Amino acid sequence: MNADTPASALDTTPSPPAATPDVDRADPKAVLADRVEQLYGQMWLGVVATFAIGTIATYELWDRRMQDLVSFWWGLVALLTITSAALILAYQRSPTRAADAAQWLRWLAIAALANGANWGFAGSVFFPSHTDEQQIFLAFLLSGMAAGGISIYAGSWRIFAMYAAGILAPFTYVLATFGNRLFIEVALMVPVFYAVTVAIAYRLEMVFHAGYQLRHAYGRLTADYSLLNARLERQLVELDDARRQVEASGRKLALFAESAPIPIFEFDPMGRVVTVNREAENLFGHVSKEVVGRDGTAFLFPSELTASVTDRWRSFIRDAKPVMGLRFHNVRRDGSEIVCEWSLTPLVGNDGKVISVIIQGNDITQQLEVERMKKEFMSTLSHELRTPLTSIIGSLQLVNSGVLGDVTSDVTDLTTIAERNGERLLDMINDILDIEKIESGKFTMVPEVVSIDALVREGIALNQAFAERHNTHLETTGEILPVKVHVDRKRLLQVLTNLLSNAAKFSPEGKPVEVAVKAADGRVRVEVHDRGPGIPESFRSRIFSRFSQADSTTARQKGGTGLGLAICKHMIEMMQGEIGFDERPGGGTTFWFQLPRHTD
Amino acid sequence: MTTRPLQKILYVEDDEDIQRIVRLSLERIGKFTVEVESDPLAAIEHMRAYQPDLVMLDWMMPGMDGPTLFRKMKESPDTNAYPVVFITAKASSRELDELTALGAVGTISKPFSPKDLPGQLRAVWEKIPD
Repeated sequence: MNADTPASALDTTPSPPAATPDVDRADPKAVLADRVEQLYGQMWLGVVATFAIGTIATYELWDRRMQDLVSFWWGLVALLTITSAALILAYQRSPTRAADAAQWLRWLAIAALANGANWGFAGSVFFPSHTDEQQIFLAFLLSGMAAGGISIYAGSWRIFAMYAAGILAPFTYVLATFGNRLFIEVALMVPVFYAVTVAIAYRLEMVFHAGYQLRHAYGRLTADYSLLNARLERQLVELDDARRQVEASGRKLALFAESAPIPIFEFDPMGRVVTVNREAENLFGHVSKEVVGRDGTAFLFPSELTASVTDRWRSFIRDAKPVMGLRFHNVRRDGSEIVCEWSLTPLVGNDGKVISVIIQGNDITQQLEVERMKKEFMSTLSHELRTPLTSIIGSLQLVNSGVLGDVTSDVTDLTTIAERNGERLLDMINDILDIEKIESGKFTMVPEVVSIDALVREGIALNQAFAERHNTHLETTGEILPVKVHVDRKRLLQVLTNLLSNAAKFSPEGKPVEVAVKAADGRVRVEVHDRGPGIPESFRSRIFSRFSQADSTTARQKGGTGLGLAICKHMIEMMQGEIGFDERPGGGTTFWFQLPRHTD
Repeated sequence: MTTRPLQKILYVEDDEDIQRIVRLSLERIGKFTVEVESDPLAAIEHMRAYQPDLVMLDWMMPGMDGPTLFRKMKESPDTNAYPVVFITAKASSRELDELTALGAVGTISKPFSPKDLPGQLRAVWEKIPD
């Protein structure tokens, strides 16, 4: 136990019978210091008692014959008293007494031995020379002093043993050599008495030792406990900080939602309102406190929708997945109906269950109305512009066809110009309508299997007259392969017409526009070659964008809305194809589109 | 294939300009016999009296639109057999498909070419099964 620090034989204490693990926790040095402290603490009592009893004994043993010897003995008592008192004072004033406990124990042992020896001296010197009564007094005095030492030196059985041996050993010798049978018998009993008192001292030391160990072990436990407490407290503080942070971000979020410019609700999984922001209050006309806790379906939807909305809500909670762009007819507090687009975001816990749902609504009533008006306008535009054009172009065509009889060539020239410009106007209207359909996602295709050679020949035939007006003509080059494609025939013809008429418009006089068909890697490619001025570098990147023309001068000279190629690109992409252009070696441009071959 | 040639055509159209162009086209180029009806509400009566080979209907007309008139024709046993060709400014292919689904034998979109119109009608006529 304290084997690692044996300062001397004096501090090697007997092991307690059963050391519990808790007792093991005591620091042996601290236990020793406590024992030394206790010994010095009781020494005052021993010093005072020794001086008092020594003085009484001096008085009792006073004899004319031995006056000097008794006086000398009392002198020794006084000297020991002073020395012991000085030792106690020195100990008590030492700031390092706990650390130097082993040394102080040794000093105490010396003092105890000197003290015991002084009493032993009294017994051996005064016993033989005194009267019977005085002998009884001495025997009583010495055994009393020995027994009294037990309590004073209870902290160390070894010190007690030295002290008691100092008293009893000379006395026993005197008794044994006195020549009296009774005294010899007493002399035989003294060692037994000595052994018993030492045994008692040993037991007492053990008890004290165990007591101090327990005290220190408890002290250590208390220290551990305080440490644990401190750590717990720290963790509590950290937890509190974390909680405050969570609360702060929660408040931030709430503040954000509260002041957001879109209506936001929070619903619990049962569909009851938890929070409502200001914008939602404004849109639906319900104040937050009126609706919190109420079933959302009960006041946000017209009654005929309640059942279907409830069903959808249940499946949404089951799936626990965000949903966007849900359109519903909703009802406001005043009964008026609006159309909203809703986004639902579930907040899902670790167990996969929905904790609450953040719902954002967007009033799209006006947007829908605008869309409807736009559609109506486009429909009107389509009908109202085409109907008069039908009459204009139709009339001019009849005149130009000659079935109405011959007219002068000037008239024919003018009616031809009028017809051509009528058709230009019609093309532009058709382009604008096409772009509108593309933008609104209503552009549809009617695909069928088409042979590309037939389509190319039809395209050339339809645009030959246009090309001739621009002093050029359209021709094929190479083999026009009869490859099949799965496309919207009218729309593909529209693309081809667009490329051919562009090429014709920009071709220099007398240089033909050439059309080639190539097939490779499961794709067929139609190329339209011209010998025009080419595409200016700055225009190449936006040639397929809407309303793009190389410059406004071109638009005035050559006509067109600048929508044609944008429409072509969209149509070709809808047919799983690509469209593009390349610079042509020797001048000019090749516009091409390619489409997947149709396989049966 | 219909072997009987197309001769008598009734055209129901409220726009008088287009009536005139179509009539000129069909009579002068196509050499058909053409009657025109401006009032869709009177069209059924006109058909019963005229007994045309083919009926051309405009889509948008005041009073009753082309598809409604077509449905009325289908309800009446003496008019339900007339082949009908719609002539319309409606551009989308979806709308043209709708007309075919109604039972129209053909659709011609406005603006049509008066030069080509007789040929287009003959092509439709020839595809009608007997």
